[in-house]
Amino acid sequence: MTAFSEDQIERYSRHIVLPEVGGRGQRKLLSASVLVVGAGGLGSPVALYLAAAGVGTIGLVDSDTVELSNLQRQVLHTTTDVGAPKCHSAAASIEAINPDVRVIPHTVRLTSANALDIIPAYDVVVDGSDNFPTRYLVNDACVMSGRPLSHAGILRFEGQVTTIVPGRGPCYRCLYPDPPAPGMVPSCQEAGILGATAGVIGSIQAVEVLKLLLGIGASLTGRLLLFDSLGMTFREVQIARNRDCAVCGDRPTITELVDYEEFCGLAGALRSGKELTP
Amino acid sequence: MTTNTADITLRLFGPLRTAIGQSEVRLSCVDGTVMDALSAFVAEQGEAARPFVFDERGNQRRSVILLLNGEPVADARTARLRAGDMLDLLLPLAGG
Repeated sequence: MTAFSEDQIERYSRHIVLPEVGGRGQRKLLSASVLVVGAGGLGSPVALYLAAAGVGTIGLVDSDTVELSNLQRQVLHTTTDVGAPKCHSAAASIEAINPDVRVIPHTVRLTSANALDIIPAYDVVVDGSDNFPTRYLVNDACVMSGRPLSHAGILRFEGQVTTIVPGRGPCYRCLYPDPPAPGMVPSCQEAGILGATAGVIGSIQAVEVLKLLLGIGASLTGRLLLFDSLGMTFREVQIARNRDCAVCGDRPTITELVDYEEFCGLAGALRSGKELTP
Repeated sequence: MTTNTADITLRLFGPLRTAIGQSEVRLSCVDGTVMDALSAFVAEQGEAARPFVFDERGNQRRSVILLLNGEPVADARTARLRAGDMLDLLLPLAGG
């Protein structure tokens, strides 16, 4: 077992002093790996808090470049990063916060062709993506590879967050077996998002991931937490595993990754050149 | 045969709230089930609401979570309403 350096003892002292974490827990974090899908509004607070906490390896999946309109909520990136690949600016921010962290940039779009090459290499996955095809893809790949997943979505002043632990509770498809009709759920680009709402929900995702890695507390498995920042209310909805779920049910009908644009009814939109993501 | 009227409140979340422009809608459902309430809601709100709730064939979409007084609705066709009930319509959020 590698001893902490003096700097590490000081850096992580507020963790180590917690009986629920301690030196043993901090070592778990330093040896853990987390994949963050999307270095945007949710992925930013998640990645920053995981980095600060000393999660040893953070993978980032994002193929976008930083735009000025991202900076109102995507706190991984700065004004000088505009135009740069998000994975690169995010890696620089993470490494500036904590040089203990190894960042693995995946400057690609997550697809059915590469998801099962990337996801199983990590202990826990965070979904901070911005479209339904990727959300179903990440869910299915996590169920198939047995990887815990922190799922969240945001829009305007609202957020939803839950934790999916395959074999121990419902998955995203148990919650939403089908996606909404194409075009019915606007993106943050179309409908807006109060930036700090992403911070609240992303921070909750970071807490969930740290608890999973440490093996402490009660996760949001089987619970969907709803946040309304206008009313400043949190509500909790109990969700049950669906025994007929197509991917995690007793007799799954989806046993390999599928065409998620087609599943979400977006294949035609894509062929016509419509943007899939904001 | 007698009919009963149940005054209920629909609470709307996410994109449905945006589409309708209200967070709550009050409905009077005659001798109703949750499905009756959904139909009444769509009849009142028209195309702003219909695609969220029903597909092209008129089937209830599985992308909407229904909560009756906070409890998940297993079958909207049989879940009966009482005056004062609160029906929540939750939709997934894509934004990240």
